[in-house]
Amino acid sequence: MADDRTIMGIFSDEETTLSAVRALKETPWSIENVMSPIPSREIADELSTKPSRVGYFTLAGGIIGFFTGFALSAYTALQWQLVVSGKPIVALVPFFIVGFEFTILFAVFGNVVGLILKMKLPDYRGLADHDSRCTGACFCVVAVCPVSDEQKLLNFLKNSGADTRILS
Amino acid sequence: MNKTAAKITESVFFNRSLLRMTGVSIVIGLVSFIILLSGKHPERAWQAYLTNFLFWSSVAQGGLLFSAVMQVARGRWGRSLTGPAEALAGFFPVSFLLYLILFLGYKQVFPWRYMELGEKAAWLNLPGLFARDTAGFLILYGLGFIYLYHSWAFRLNRKTDAGKTREYLNRLWNSRSVDPDRFRARMTLFAVLYIIAYAVILSLIAYDLIMALDPHWYSALFGAYHFVKAFYMALGVLIILASILHMNPQIPFALRPSQFHDLGKLFFAFCLVWADFFYCQFMVIWYGNISEETAYVIARTMASPWRPMAWLVFIVSFGIPFLILLNRKIKSNPKWMSLLSALVLLGLWLEHTLLIGPSLNPHVHTLQLGIFDGLIFVGFIGLMTLVVASVLHVLPELAESRISEGS
Repeated sequence: MADDRTIMGIFSDEETTLSAVRALKETPWSIENVMSPIPSREIADELSTKPSRVGYFTLAGGIIGFFTGFALSAYTALQWQLVVSGKPIVALVPFFIVGFEFTILFAVFGNVVGLILKMKLPDYRGLADHDSRCTGACFCVVAVCPVSDEQKLLNFLKNSGADTRILS
Repeated sequence: MNKTAAKITESVFFNRSLLRMTGVSIVIGLVSFIILLSGKHPERAWQAYLTNFLFWSSVAQGGLLFSAVMQVARGRWGRSLTGPAEALAGFFPVSFLLYLILFLGYKQVFPWRYMELGEKAAWLNLPGLFARDTAGFLILYGLGFIYLYHSWAFRLNRKTDAGKTREYLNRLWNSRSVDPDRFRARMTLFAVLYIIAYAVILSLIAYDLIMALDPHWYSALFGAYHFVKAFYMALGVLIILASILHMNPQIPFALRPSQFHDLGKLFFAFCLVWADFFYCQFMVIWYGNISEETAYVIARTMASPWRPMAWLVFIVSFGIPFLILLNRKIKSNPKWMSLLSALVLLGLWLEHTLLIGPSLNPHVHTLQLGIFDGLIFVGFIGLMTLVVASVLHVLPELAESRISEGS
């Protein structure tokens, strides 16, 4: 909204970020986004975020991959039927390895597709507010407050140990 | 810790009912062993003995490995768990004693003594095996205890002087004033040495005490398969032990769900590594299709009477945990994880029997596993419980978690 201010606080470690998030929850201002360079269970718990659904895409990718790998090996073996030391043409034991490799590959694909879909990428609007530190080694907390509270929120974040930036 | 608190925790770890329970199970195990030994097939008694000796020794060795790995990798998340893991190492002296007793049954335990070995006789002979394995155990356990000596210097409250063990340890530590930084560096050094010895000596034990039972069969990866499995089992026992300590409100040991989750993930990872190491060997043997290699696998996985057991091991120790451990909530729940770990451990105990049984009982038509084998297993559970409880009784600091240390 036009009369809102979005302010980002950039923190250098998890502890200060966590205490800032906790303190922010006590204020009337709202937290829009928190970015972390590591998966932090404490911060996620504090924000009570819903578990990500990307895992289902990974699982689906893995299962599809397993059968694709198996099918590919069987198909290619059947195209050129070469019997080696009495082994069956469609042999389960070695094809399982190909299936396994494809499981990993397709699980990664599934994961990337899941990320793209769930995060609604590409998102060019977000680029304007991008700060390379947030995708680097720092923790970023994006909070929203009414325009009148701008200075208060800036001070609050500074006192919590953050570098601040006004986004909009 | 003040005196009253110490008293309460001591009675928690080590009380009459525990002593009675473990005592009864040890007696049951011992009586079962004697019954089997005096029966028609004494090799059955030694089969159960060797299975349990290897199983529980592996748990102790893998338990200390957890602590050593955490130290070397600076794993802060598992710092609270290293205490219970180190308590498992209390089984080292018992394990060594059990190893010596094993040689009383040398006629049954080493069937290759009656076989034509050819050039292999240079390696497979009783004096040589006894010498190198004894040296191996002494090196492994020696390094383990030196590591513990350094670890406990930081962990234990040195002001308490109750009990002979503490008095002795305090005297050792006080006899020289050591710079804590240097002491910590040496602790890391011995952790590294223990890890190396773990891999080398557990491989040696696997080759000598399991693989050589069938002297014509060999698989180069068998040693690695054994020590990976040992760590998998140790993680299972550690989950059970940590859950018991966590759920008892009288013990100052509490873990966050995230710590159980992390331990569960490690358990899951080693479930996969264990299965992978099996498959690596199986794949090579399948491709080679040489009768002296395949005979071992066929006897255990495709031929009667062992075949159903092989499937049971596969389902219980790999299939079920693989599917269940995909779930995050279960991994964070100590009760469910204990149940699952117990199931996996049971499967791995059967797997030990599966490796050893067919070698000691060739040409049989019925499954060489009965009620007495189970009772001997119960006896060993009692023995391990007694050892861990005694260690925690003497050194209750091992069962203290420091929430602030984990992350």
